[in-house]
Order: sequence, then structure tokens, then C-alpha cells
Amino acid sequence: MEPVPSREIADMGGAAALPRKNGELVFDEAWQGRIFGMTVAMSHEACFEWREFQAQLIAEIAHAEREGESTSYYERWLHAFEQLLADKGLLDSGALAERTRDFESGRRDDVF
Amino acid sequence: MNGIHDMGGMHGFGRVEREPVFHAPWEGRVLGITRACAVQHIFNIDESRHAIERMAPADYLRASYYERWLDRNIRLLVEKGIITREELERRMAQLARGTDPAPPHSDPKLTDRMLRVTKDRTPYRQPGPASRFAAGERVLTRHDAPVGHTRLPRYARGKLGVVVRVHGTFIFPDTNAHGQGEQPHALYSVRFDAALLWGASAEPRAPVHIDLWERYLEPAAPERSTS
Amino acid sequence: MSGTHGHDHDHGHHHREPESLLSLRVRALESLLIEKKLVASEAVDRIVSAYEQDIGPHNGAKVVARAWVDPGYRQRLLADGTAAIEELGFGGVDLQVVENTPGVHNLVVCTLCSCYPHALIGLPPVWYKSFEYRSRAVREPRVVLREFGVDLPESTEIRIWDSSAELRYLVLPERPAGTERLSEAELATLVTRDSMIGVAVVKPSAAAAR
Repeated sequence: MEPVPSREIADMGGAAALPRKNGELVFDEAWQGRIFGMTVAMSHEACFEWREFQAQLIAEIAHAEREGESTSYYERWLHAFEQLLADKGLLDSGALAERTRDFESGRRDDVF
Repeated sequence: MNGIHDMGGMHGFGRVEREPVFHAPWEGRVLGITRACAVQHIFNIDESRHAIERMAPADYLRASYYERWLDRNIRLLVEKGIITREELERRMAQLARGTDPAPPHSDPKLTDRMLRVTKDRTPYRQPGPASRFAAGERVLTRHDAPVGHTRLPRYARGKLGVVVRVHGTFIFPDTNAHGQGEQPHALYSVRFDAALLWGASAEPRAPVHIDLWERYLEPAAPERSTS
Repeated sequence: MSGTHGHDHDHGHHHREPESLLSLRVRALESLLIEKKLVASEAVDRIVSAYEQDIGPHNGAKVVARAWVDPGYRQRLLADGTAAIEELGFGGVDLQVVENTPGVHNLVVCTLCSCYPHALIGLPPVWYKSFEYRSRAVREPRVVLREFGVDLPESTEIRIWDSSAELRYLVLPERPAGTERLSEAELATLVTRDSMIGVAVVKPSAAAAR
């Protein structure tokens, strides 16, 4: 069965609103779609409530604005997601750094 | 030209599929390159369309939408003397080996122009000579096949139609695609009865309207009363 | 895919674009989450696809909603689409608007390539650019519409508009019955991209439209 978009996610407002152009979601790079999908997928699996992630995202955006950072929406989303996973003990930052180096060096190429 | 691109009315394609396709990142790069070329007037839209039309038919049919754009960009950049195919192949070999000799290049002014591109399009309406036909007039489309670029679809060649609207004067693709100047002149919305286009297999009450330049049209004999 | 937002990043002392590092990081993240069985790649694909198709009100939908509530605007829109959309702050397209009425249904195609009113309704759906649609919409519109789930009586005239020049066509769909009490903004959410191309009619509620 195809997933049905949740209004809670699709219609987020304010600073957390999903970037759209002419009504359509905008993913400038493929990784942005991936991180969006991963976050939504995990909320479906009840790893966390959507409002928990949304709160984290809003906080991350507010922090970035205060610091005058020029990071993009989905970069902030990524930071919020990593923070949430760390808080829930679902991800170890050391493991992530090492796996990132594996992809960077070419030692690993497939995500699975 | 009698190209494979001219698809109106062709048989043999099947149901219209509605499956979404997952887009690859390179497609976005092709779009970016296209925009960069457009804002710097490296090629105009008519040259651009004609370049796609000149793909070998088998390649055209097999290629995806952005693959056609990629082929078009390469073809025009080579024809305009900006790159050579040998250069392109050498660079591809280098990238395949993992080295990218090009330093990162940022050009904020160009980027800004590219982002504004939908507002900066060359206006295709240009002043031109007075129109020959008026709404309600019957016209006959040319029946010959030009070898170059044209926007008269094959299915509407040598057909009787009725002018429903005079749009104004527009740049003429048939000359603009070949470096022969813009030659703007009258563009009309012309209505064609389905039966006249498709014959006995035509659906009832399904007229086709096409936007056609005056140079595609001749006056047709006025309709004779049947009574 | 809309790679049109060219964020121009300063490269500073990095020899790689920041985007590349982000892309690697996200791949690493997905890889770890898959290992921990917290995420499945296929689920991610389908979620992205579902949300990409969940399209909010297009600029075109706002134009349609305005025409439905304001008869003067409707007239101006049909007489000069280019000027009328500029009233709402939309531009960049030479536009012809064609209205659906009880006896007339309009359908837009570009048989020669796939011209489309991007400025008003975003990116064209893949099927619009397909050989199937380009070849069959002009010859057998009634059959094609039936395949899209639109069954029109034989007495309805189907006007096909083949976008052969730099003019773009937008269908003004009929306003569905039972929407009298909806606000202009609510009406805009009912208007789908497909209805403005002509392969759908507008349903009275968003739930029915999906």
C-alpha cells in the first residue's frame, strides 16, 4: 500500500515549512529527499513522535538563524534528525563519522 | 523536418502510464547547464528544439526526457564551437579515473541571472507586418515537408482549418532556428475538424486547435452553401 | 526534479563542495540505520515519491479560484490571460486560458515536444511528456480521458489545444457543485494540476480529489 502523506508533516507551517515551489516539494539535491524520507519512515516505525522531531527542527532553525548561519533548510533538518537520534540513543556519532569516512574514501559504496 | 519528434496522431504507443519516475541528480545538472546557456544566449529556443529533433530516431525514442536535453546541449555546444567532442571524451575519462581537473567556479552574477530566467525570457511577441487573415476565415495549411525546423505538425499538413483567433506577431521558428533571423509575423489559432484530420476513425466533436504562423497558411475557398 | 535553486556556496579552503560532504553523510546515515533495521531503503523511496505527488496549491490553482469567485476577473482572464495572471503577481508566460463549460471540455498537449505552462503549474508530470500522450491526445482524446477516469458524454465537445508556439494553455475547470461556502483559499486547494491540463475535473472535496 502506498504511503499517504500525513497532513501533520506535509502542512508544517512557519519556519519549519517544507520548501516548495509552485506547490511542489523542492529537493535541490538527492540527499535532501533521502533525509526527508528517512525521518518520515522512522516516525512511521514509531521510533519517535513527529512532534518531537518538529520541535527539534524548529529549535535547530532558530539556533541557526541566531548564529547567522547560511545553512540550508535540509542541512538544518539533518542536524535536527541526528540530534534526535542521539538523544534517543539510536545513533552513535562516532559510528556515523566512521561510516561517512568509508563512503568518502570509496571503501564503501552501497548503503546496504 | 519529417522527424520522429512530430508525434501527433501516431499509432503504436500504448496506454498513458502514470508511474512516477525517481529522478537522478544528473538531470538537475543538465537543467542547470541549459539555463546557463539560455541566459548567455548561446542558443535560442528554436535552435534548441531543432537540435533535439535531429537526434537519430532510434536514440530519440530510447532516450529519457533529460537524456534528450543532454544530447541537445552537447550537440549545440559543439556546433557553436564552445567545446569539441574530443575534449568532452577526454574529460569524461579523467572523471572516470577519479580526478576532476576543473577548479570549483562560482559566478554569483550568472547564478542570479539563471534564477531569474523565467522572467528574463526573450519575449517572443515582436512587432511585425499586419495580419492577412481574420477570425472566421478558412485557411489551408501547406502540404510540403520543410527539411528544417517547423512548428506545423505533420498531421496538420495540407488540411483545411478555420482561424479562431489572431494572436499577434511572433518570432518565426522556421528561420530563427537556422540563423536566418527572427522574421516575426502573424500567429493564429487555427481549428481543425477531427474528421478532416483523421478520416473515418475520428471521434465525434473533438476539434484540434494549433497555433500556426501565417507562412504556413493559404486562403481556402469560402464554404459553398449546400442548399 | 527542480535543480533551479543554485545555492552558491563559498568554497573557502575546502577542495570539495559542502553538498558533497552532506551527501556522503546522509548515505552513511542511511547505511547505519538500515543495519540497525530502523529504516528500509524502499520505504524511503516510496515516501519521497508520495510526498512529491502531494502537491499544494499551484499558482495556477490560485488563478482558477480567483476566476471562480470573481466574474470580472474571469472575463479578464479569458480575454487576456497574460495580463490577468500578472494581477495576481504571476508572470513570465504568454498565456491563453480556455474554460470548461457543461458542453465543452478542454485538453492541452504539445505533440512536437512537451511545452507546458511551468510558471503556473510547476513541473510537467512524466506522462505529459510521454510519446503515448503526445501521439494519442490529438487523435483519440475521448479514449485517453477515459483512461484518466474522465467519462464525458458524446455530446460534449472536446477541444484539444496543441501548444505549437510560445503561447501556453491553461484549462479553467468548472467549479464543482456544493462549494458555494468555501473561501477562495479553500477552493484553490481543490484545483489539481491534472484539471488545469484537462485530464481531470475538479472534485468538491480534497479527499475525493486524491
